[in-house]
Amino acid sequence: MDSLSSKSLPEISNLLDEYGIKHGPVVETTRNLYVKKLREAMTKGKRAKPSSDKTFYREEEEEVTYVYRTPTRSDISGDGGAYMRSRPEWTEREYEHETSYSSYSKPRPEYRGSDLVDEPYMYDTPSTYKNSYSKITAMKSEQQVPKVQKSSRLVPLWLQLLFFLALAAFLYLVFSNMEINESIKGIM
Amino acid sequence: LQFDLLRAGLCKLSCWISDTAMSSTSQKHKEFVAEPMGEKPVMALAGIGPALGKKLEEHGFDKAYVVLGQFLVLKKDEELFRDWLKDTCGANTKQQRDCYGCLKEWCDAFL
Repeated sequence: MDSLSSKSLPEISNLLDEYGIKHGPVVETTRNLYVKKLREAMTKGKRAKPSSDKTFYREEEEEVTYVYRTPTRSDISGDGGAYMRSRPEWTEREYEHETSYSSYSKPRPEYRGSDLVDEPYMYDTPSTYKNSYSKITAMKSEQQVPKVQKSSRLVPLWLQLLFFLALAAFLYLVFSNMEINESIKGIM
Repeated sequence: LQFDLLRAGLCKLSCWISDTAMSSTSQKHKEFVAEPMGEKPVMALAGIGPALGKKLEEHGFDKAYVVLGQFLVLKKDEELFRDWLKDTCGANTKQQRDCYGCLKEWCDAFL
């Protein structure tokens, strides 16, 4: 383990990124804290990834994911842990932007329901094979969407509705028990 | 007249609900987050008593706003700030939580 205390502030910052440690600016007052965190990470034997996780686009590879986009569409995927799961998944738009790299034989286990809206857009694509393939998977995956969506909510839907109804009932009780005088009658 | 009473009642009710539903916030916390901190000493922060305050001052954090500065430099991250507080002055879990909560709420209101 190189002597962390002799590292410069930018070096510490880079090391933090390599170990995937979330951090703010490395300045004199935060330096000791981050050095301590690095030491912990090193002794735990965490893998340091020197590069690459920053580039989410890999055009040379078969799979490309808009990792930043998937959270907004992660009704199905759920929490941040889904980053890894989303890698083999395609969204409609990725098909559009990818030209010849994509591998059509890859099955798509999940399909985001909201992307069905993009179907008309699909007809502009050059490849008709793309259209038919996506349409088929759209049909297949459509059924999966309603089933999977449930698991994404933190608070179950029925609970939210129940709470809302309880609140509405309470307010109704309050209002119905008010003594109505002339001025209010004009409003109600 | 009835509407006023109703409003007052609902107001009190909502205050009571927020006080009891959330973890109890101390008087110190309430006072701190009620106004800009100005030149308040570091011991005005919730969770920071005389002992911790003295240690923080020894490290150069002699005013609440300096601790605020550190809080902001740590990007208002709970884990980082609490770790830093523990390392710097030996705050225990409750003290860390109180101080973090105090600063976070102050920032939400004034920053």
